[in-house]
Amino acid sequence: MLTHTADILALTTTLKMAAVTTFILLIIGTPLAWWLANMKSRFKVLFEAIVALPLVLPPTVLGFYLLLAFSPQSLPGQLWQTTTGNQLAFSFSAIVIGSVLYSLPFVVQPLQKAFEQLGDHYLEAAAMLGAGPADRFFSIVVPLTKASFITATALGFAHTVGEFGVVLMIGGNIPGETRVLSIALFDHVEAFNYSNAHLLSAGLLISSLLLLSFVYLLGGKYGRKNSNKSPKTLAKVKNKHVNS
Amino acid sequence: MSKNLTQSLPGKALNLTITTNISFEQFNLSVNEELTLAGITGIFGESGSGKSTLLRIIAGLEKRADGQLNFNGKELQNSKKRHFTKPEHRNIGLIFQDSRLFPHLSVLENLTYAVKRKHQPVLSMEKILQLTQLTELQHQNVTRLSGGEKQRVSLARALLAEPELLLLDEPFSALDKKTKAQMLQIVKTIQQQLDMPMLYVSHSISELQFIAKQLIVMSDGSIGYIAPTHQAIHQLNSHEDIAVKTSLSLTITEHLPKFGLSQLAFSAKSSDNHIYLPLLQQDQQQSTIGQLLPCIIYARDISISTTKPEHSSIVNQLPGTITEIKQGITSALVKVQCAQQEFYAQISLWSATRMALTLNSQVYIQFKANAVHSFHSTESENHA
Repeated sequence: MLTHTADILALTTTLKMAAVTTFILLIIGTPLAWWLANMKSRFKVLFEAIVALPLVLPPTVLGFYLLLAFSPQSLPGQLWQTTTGNQLAFSFSAIVIGSVLYSLPFVVQPLQKAFEQLGDHYLEAAAMLGAGPADRFFSIVVPLTKASFITATALGFAHTVGEFGVVLMIGGNIPGETRVLSIALFDHVEAFNYSNAHLLSAGLLISSLLLLSFVYLLGGKYGRKNSNKSPKTLAKVKNKHVNS
Repeated sequence: MSKNLTQSLPGKALNLTITTNISFEQFNLSVNEELTLAGITGIFGESGSGKSTLLRIIAGLEKRADGQLNFNGKELQNSKKRHFTKPEHRNIGLIFQDSRLFPHLSVLENLTYAVKRKHQPVLSMEKILQLTQLTELQHQNVTRLSGGEKQRVSLARALLAEPELLLLDEPFSALDKKTKAQMLQIVKTIQQQLDMPMLYVSHSISELQFIAKQLIVMSDGSIGYIAPTHQAIHQLNSHEDIAVKTSLSLTITEHLPKFGLSQLAFSAKSSDNHIYLPLLQQDQQQSTIGQLLPCIIYARDISISTTKPEHSSIVNQLPGTITEIKQGITSALVKVQCAQQEFYAQISLWSATRMALTLNSQVYIQFKANAVHSFHSTESENHA
C-alpha cells in the first residue's frame, strides 16, 4: 500500500515535471526554431548541432555538467541560491531545467522543419495586407503549422516523462520533489520488487505508445492535407532571381 | 453613362521616385527614375529583365536593395539614412502570380483578413465582391478554386486593403486566354471605378496593350524607356526578336451582325476611314458603341497597293503616304501614314522593288478583318 502511494506521488511529480518542461520548451523552442529556420549564416549548422546534441549525448554527461553548474559552489548555483533562497541542485527546478535542455531537440526540430517548409510566400502576402510580424506569426504561421506544434508538444512531453539519466544525476531521489516514475521503477528493481516494477513499466510503455500513435495519427492527417498546400510548389515557376 | 464619365476624368496621379541598385549572383538591377503613375502603367520586359524585382523593391520585399524610394511625398526607403519602411506600413498592394491565398481561410475570411487590418475601411465588401464576381464563391474553400477564381480572390483581397498603389506581378500569366481576357476587363473596370493607380508587370505585349495607358520598357535590369502604350509598342518594333506591329485605339462605331463584322473608326467624329474586324461579343460592356478599343495589327498582315483595290475581298483598305522604307534581308518594312495614324507594313523585297515604292508616294494599305487583333474579340484570335 505504501509503495502504491509513493508511486502515485512519483506519477504526479513526473506529470508536473513534463507539463512544466513542455510549457517552457514551447515558449523558448518556438522562437529558437523560428530563428534557426530563417538563419542564413553559415554557422547555422553549428547551432543546429548544438540543439541536436541531447539526441546523441549520454544523458549522464549532460547531468554531470549540470550538477557541477547547479552546485552552490558554482556561479549559476550561487545566483539561484541568492535570488530564490533555495539550493538548485536536487530540486524540482533543477530537474525541469535539465529536462528542458534534454528534450529541446524534440520540440525545436519539428517546428524548425515546419517553418522552413512554410517559406515566406504567405508571410509576404500577409505583409502586403498590412499585417506586422507578430500578427503574421499568429494569424498565418501558427494555424498553418498547427500539426507540427502538436507533434512538438507531444514529443517533448513524452520524452520528458521517459527521462532517467539527467534526473538521476541532478535530482537525486526526493519523494514529491525529484522522484519521478523512471527512478521509482529503478528503485523497485533494485529492491527485487518486480510486481511493482511491472506495473510501472507496463504503464509507461502503454501510455508512451498511445501518445506516439496520436502523434503519428495527426501527422498523417495534417501531412496529407498540407501537402497540397505547400507554398513552395506554387512558386517554382518564377522569380529565379528574386528567390535566389 | 457614368462609366464614360469616370473614364474621361483625369484620374488620380501619384509620384514615385526610385533610385535603386540590387545585385544577385548573375543579375544586377539598376533604376533611377521619376514616375508619374495614373491609371494603369504597364511594365514590359523579357523574363529576367528585372520587372518583378522592381515591383518587389517598391513593395518593400527586397530589403537588400540599396537606394532611395519616395512615394507620394513620403520617403519609403533611404539607405544613406538607414531608413526602411516595412511593407506592411507602405500602403501598397501586391498581387502575386501565384495567388498566395491563405489555405486555412475561406474566400470570405481571406478578404476580411485585409479589412480587419485597415483602420478606417471605406470600400464595402459587397461592392468588391460584385466587382470581382465573387459573391457566389464567398463561402468556398480557397484550395478548391480554379486559377481564375483564385486570382479574383487575390485581387479582391488586395483591393480591400485599400492601397494607394496596386502592384500586379504577371497576375494572369498562368490563365487560359479566355479567362485572362475576362480578368483584364475586370481589372480595367475596377481601375476606372476606384481610380486606384496600378503598376502591371507582364511579358505579353497584347495584354499590356489592352490594359495599360503607358508602358515602362525594361531590359537587362534597367529601364529602357517610358512612353504612352502605342508609342512604346512602336518603339519596340525595332527589336529583332519582336514581331513588328501597329498598335492603335479605335472607336467602336457600329456592329454589323449580318456580316459578322464590327465597324471601328479612328475617332468618333470621322465618318470615313472605317476599319472592320470580326464581330465583337455583344454581351461585353466594352463593345458598346463609342468605346475605345485597343487593337493590334501585325505588319506581316498588311499589304500595299499603289492603286485603289476596287475588286478585292479584303475589307480594310486605307489610303496613305509612305513615310519610311526600311530594307531588311528578305523583306522591307514600310511605314504608311493614314490620316493621323501610322501603320507598319511588311512586304517582300521583291514586291518593294517591283512596285518601285518611294518615300511620300500615295498608296493603299489592305488587311483582312481578322488581322485586327483585340484582347476581347472572337475566340479564333491568336495573340503574341
